[in-house]
Amino acid sequence: MRKFALAATSLAAVTALALAGCSSRGDTTDTEGEGGAAGFAADATIGVALPDKTSENWVLAGDLFTTGLEEAGFNADVQYAPASNTVAEQQNQINSMITNGAEVIIIGAKDSAQLSSQVEAAKAEGITVIAYDRLITNTEAVDYYLAFDNFKVGQEQGQALLDGLAEKYPDADTYNIELFSGSPDDNNAGVFFNGAMDVLQPKIDDGTLNVVSGQTEVGQTATQGWLAQNAQSRMDTLLSANYQDTELHGVLSPNDTLARAIIESVRAAGKDLPVVTGQDSEVESVKSIVAGEQYMTIYKDTRALVAAAIEMVQELQAGEEPTGINDTETYDNGEKIVPSYLLPPVVVTQENAGEAYADNPDLLALTEQ
Amino acid sequence: MTSTASTPTREDGGFRFRDLRKMFGGSQSTSRQFGILGALVVIILLFQALTGGKTLEPNNLINIVNGNAYVLILAVGMVMVIVAGHIDLSVGSVAAFVGIVVAQSMTLWGWPWPFAILLGLLLGALVGAWHGFWVAYVGVPAFIVTLAGMLLFRGANQWVGNSTSLPVPRDFTFIGGGFLPDFGPQFGYSNWTLILGLVAAVAVVWQERRLRKAQAQMGAEQAPFWVSAVKVGLLLAVVLLATYLFATGRVGTSFPISGIILAVLVLGYSFLTNNTTIGRHVYAVGGNWRAAELSGVDIRRTNFFVMFNMSVLAAVAGMLWIARSVASGPGDGVGWELDAIAAVFIGGAAVTGGIGTVVGSIIGGLVIAVLNNGLQLLSVTADYVQMIKGLVLLLAVAIDVYSKRQGRPSLIGRLTRNRGSGDDRPTASPAPEGAQTPTPAGGPAETARPQDLTPRG
Repeated sequence: MRKFALAATSLAAVTALALAGCSSRGDTTDTEGEGGAAGFAADATIGVALPDKTSENWVLAGDLFTTGLEEAGFNADVQYAPASNTVAEQQNQINSMITNGAEVIIIGAKDSAQLSSQVEAAKAEGITVIAYDRLITNTEAVDYYLAFDNFKVGQEQGQALLDGLAEKYPDADTYNIELFSGSPDDNNAGVFFNGAMDVLQPKIDDGTLNVVSGQTEVGQTATQGWLAQNAQSRMDTLLSANYQDTELHGVLSPNDTLARAIIESVRAAGKDLPVVTGQDSEVESVKSIVAGEQYMTIYKDTRALVAAAIEMVQELQAGEEPTGINDTETYDNGEKIVPSYLLPPVVVTQENAGEAYADNPDLLALTEQ
Repeated sequence: MTSTASTPTREDGGFRFRDLRKMFGGSQSTSRQFGILGALVVIILLFQALTGGKTLEPNNLINIVNGNAYVLILAVGMVMVIVAGHIDLSVGSVAAFVGIVVAQSMTLWGWPWPFAILLGLLLGALVGAWHGFWVAYVGVPAFIVTLAGMLLFRGANQWVGNSTSLPVPRDFTFIGGGFLPDFGPQFGYSNWTLILGLVAAVAVVWQERRLRKAQAQMGAEQAPFWVSAVKVGLLLAVVLLATYLFATGRVGTSFPISGIILAVLVLGYSFLTNNTTIGRHVYAVGGNWRAAELSGVDIRRTNFFVMFNMSVLAAVAGMLWIARSVASGPGDGVGWELDAIAAVFIGGAAVTGGIGTVVGSIIGGLVIAVLNNGLQLLSVTADYVQMIKGLVLLLAVAIDVYSKRQGRPSLIGRLTRNRGSGDDRPTASPAPEGAQTPTPAGGPAETARPQDLTPRG
């Protein structure tokens, strides 16, 4: 009997709780939305969710965010995803930032497609979401995209290839080149390649440039996983199939790692080094450029990108629209066109290396040998 | 080994502190579960204090459930694999493989989501049959079979998905991140959550009542009534608090659907492991497969079952994950097997097999989940979080191993052994361990019987 009494009591307790009425349902939704005139407190929490520490660029960005946001008076909550189960932990970290009451969350996504639930939850709390360096796709809830202009990067690579060819082979009218692109699973790879082809295609059409292998499609030129070994073996094959008796003048390479692999391949085949493009200003490639091997690279200054992000946060804090937005057409994430603030990349060759790296002591030291 | 065998206490009345041990059953593995449950409560309270109340905020609790349901589901299957004396390293890859196929079936082939879920379960079953065949009928160690499966299905994931992320339709995502719809009169709570809480509260009372009835019928030892009352009171308090918290989240939220799926699986598999022949066979095989075989247990069928079942649950976890992430990606499932295995061992399973419970593993998984969440709320960097999680895993298992070697049930057991009564009888069984007779110490809910059959190494 006593048990029945117990059961009855518990039922009563639950019912009482249910009928207690007083609406305590958390109605924390902030209706002001993003970029509204309201702004927020000058010492608000700003969340920064970065991917795992796989490159020194991300480590540098994290340090700069921490110091920069603190200097600007904000409470910086900077978190890297761990190396294992990275996407899930990044989701958890973003959730924690929402719980911690962040006003703005800056996200360097590990996987661009897998954060929509979290940014939507942020949106529901009135938090402004900025996609940093990598666009977040398939959601309405991204407010801004901040990155280097990757199409521009491609264009600069294409132009630099033309300049380098003219510089190195002043007597030639036509040039033999080969094209490489990045990993097909990386959205940026296609953007780089299309940018470059924007410059190169007219020259291919008018016969100035001759792609001897005939491989000009992005699928044919792809380098799975951005792996140096894949670029090197493709270059080996291209050389033995097409360049036994033909001179190779130039190679479009999307980044520094692949550029060095291509140079290795050409060297192993005993040919003269062609004009090779690059990107990222990796230490080995900067040395190579100074030594006159690789022709060019692109410098995307993490400092400039972080500074732009912090400036954007300050504008949002004051309740203003971010002034840096310079592209409202290009970046479609599948649900909306995300207003973008695109920074111009800097082209680095042997000539201007010292100048381009003036504010980066590590790279500058390499140019002063 | 267990004190219950040597100190039969049938007398009623009389307050004896150590009777508290019987609250969650009297045997070693259950009192260890009690210990890990205590650790969970301590961790929750600690982080509740450190984060200024954010840990038990409704939305944070919802995040914890949604963000860990898939790992906890893996732990449900993994505990059975580990109890049977095997291991499954392939679960992350299997989940990723099922995830990408299910995502493609909806996004590329336009299948409605119920069919996609069926396809996912079917795929999981096929993969499970594959693993089960090699482990049970060919006799390749599960470690090797599933190591191969880890590579095989990771490759299959990348081959099918071309190493790209593929979004899934919104109407599918409710299973990983959705909530029950609001209905009826609105008075500030999620009505469905209240109903669920009510059902849980009734179930708690009914279960305890059934347990005592069964114990009485079998003539088994019963905890004094006041212990049952305290136990039911505590559980009701937890259920009511949880109901209140989950019911008062942001408007439009409720107890998450992923949590309901998890709860159903936990209940179902607790029943399966405790009350069904196949479930008991898993323990028998893991405890001593020769003895089990001589007793007429079909070893191969049992081994096939645990491997098969694990992959089906991995398929469920994979689908929950892509629903939560609204996309299937090439990095899905990396490291999940380790999270699931850690949850199982923190939850009290033995590396040698034969010991472990579904509920214990869920509690072990929640310890890691709450720790992870609390540290993230405190903005502790991922480097430290990983180090702390590693140490917690080591510490939890070390305490277990140490307690066993000392012949002591657990810290909690020591604490409660010689208190309250002037009774100083040694509570550890004096009999040689191997010769100990099986003691059906509890009723149907007593989950650790087979450990008494397990020879100690």
